[in-house]
Amino acid sequence: MRKVFAMLFLAIIGFYLFNTFALIPFGKNKMNADVAASYLNSGVQKTGAVNIVTSIVVNYRGFDTLGEVTVLFLAATGMGALLFRKKPMQRSRQNASVIVKTGARILFPLIIILGVYVFVHGHLTPGGGFQGGAIIASGFLLMFMSYRTYKVNHKVLSLFETFAGTSFVLLGLFGLIWGTSFLANILPFGEANTLFSAGIIPLIYIAVGIKVGSELTAVLDTMLKTVK
Amino acid sequence: MILTILEIILVVVLIGAALLAVWYRDLVAAVIASSVVSLMLSIIFYILQAPDVALTEAAIGVGLTTIIFMIAIRKTKRFEE
Amino acid sequence: METVLNIIGYTLTSVGVVFLFFGALGILRMPDVYNRMQAGTKATTLGAFGTILGVGFINPEWFFKTAIIAAFILISNPISSHALARGSHKIGIKLWQKKDIDHYARAEATLQEQEGDGE
Repeated sequence: MRKVFAMLFLAIIGFYLFNTFALIPFGKNKMNADVAASYLNSGVQKTGAVNIVTSIVVNYRGFDTLGEVTVLFLAATGMGALLFRKKPMQRSRQNASVIVKTGARILFPLIIILGVYVFVHGHLTPGGGFQGGAIIASGFLLMFMSYRTYKVNHKVLSLFETFAGTSFVLLGLFGLIWGTSFLANILPFGEANTLFSAGIIPLIYIAVGIKVGSELTAVLDTMLKTVK
Repeated sequence: MILTILEIILVVVLIGAALLAVWYRDLVAAVIASSVVSLMLSIIFYILQAPDVALTEAAIGVGLTTIIFMIAIRKTKRFEE
Repeated sequence: METVLNIIGYTLTSVGVVFLFFGALGILRMPDVYNRMQAGTKATTLGAFGTILGVGFINPEWFFKTAIIAAFILISNPISSHALARGSHKIGIKLWQKKDIDHYARAEATLQEQEGDGE
């Protein structure tokens, strides 16, 4: 009986999803064209960011980004609360070979630089805070996997995270004080297509990148430490 | 034309990998299949000219999620009953 | 100048594509895990290296970036395949039946004899 209900439910959901998406050809734009056109046409003048996706994520929909960052923070906190262990166990029984260790030591700074590049240049090239943060976390993951005793200081991580989150909210409040609304772009735009342009967008993306990177690193470290 | 054929191949591989991810009883294999889904999705996003989303999908879907699942599997059980 | 660069670039790219094809063929045709991994790493590393550097020669303004990507592949690809091969050897995946020399196991044994048990 339950299976019948489940299949009926799936069929109803599938029917409505199909009806929603059937009219849109794959990969073509059939959505409300006015919104997209206005973003594309006036986005660069209004926000100063050449990358339209960044200008939407950080400027037009900046408040949503704050919510997303908060969700990630809650996930990391919940994971830490759930898996907290007073005496952390050893990470793995096997030692990584010399080749892996040396390679990880060479690659780690390069990966961190790539992550920082991705979130600093978020308003110019594809990428941004979330992507850069994930790349940084994967760099730390490489170190965790190749060195059994590699430790990150959780105090430093939470300090970074607090700093980044606070600066995000403070930037938004500055917009409320000196500008028109929360997260209003109060700094001068500068010349488009250069690194120091687009007002507060790069600052916010740097904050998001640091926050996401430290949160994901903390999640990975917590998970790796709790051996059964 | 070539792009359309490539898209069709990618979507077929994506659906196949998604079905395999559900079908496998070995959870490690299922996780690898789901990371293949993410990889295909990332290439499709790139073809559809959304490099931002493609980068996110590649970094988080292929890299971090797979690793987190792997760690969780190593700490619990490998096979589904 | 431009034609010379183009010729170099297209040659490198074609060589790379040929090696990538051999890598794919090797993954399909080789008998066991280690052989497949070797085909999928050696051939693909050279193939990707050639292709990416060739693109850099065709578009000279991209050369710096492509060189960085090529160097990254040159470092990371062998390391990851080494780690994979070592892991599969450690969990006891058998060699191909027609192959009876296992250098890695022998080297590991002598290494452990030399070092004792501590690390």
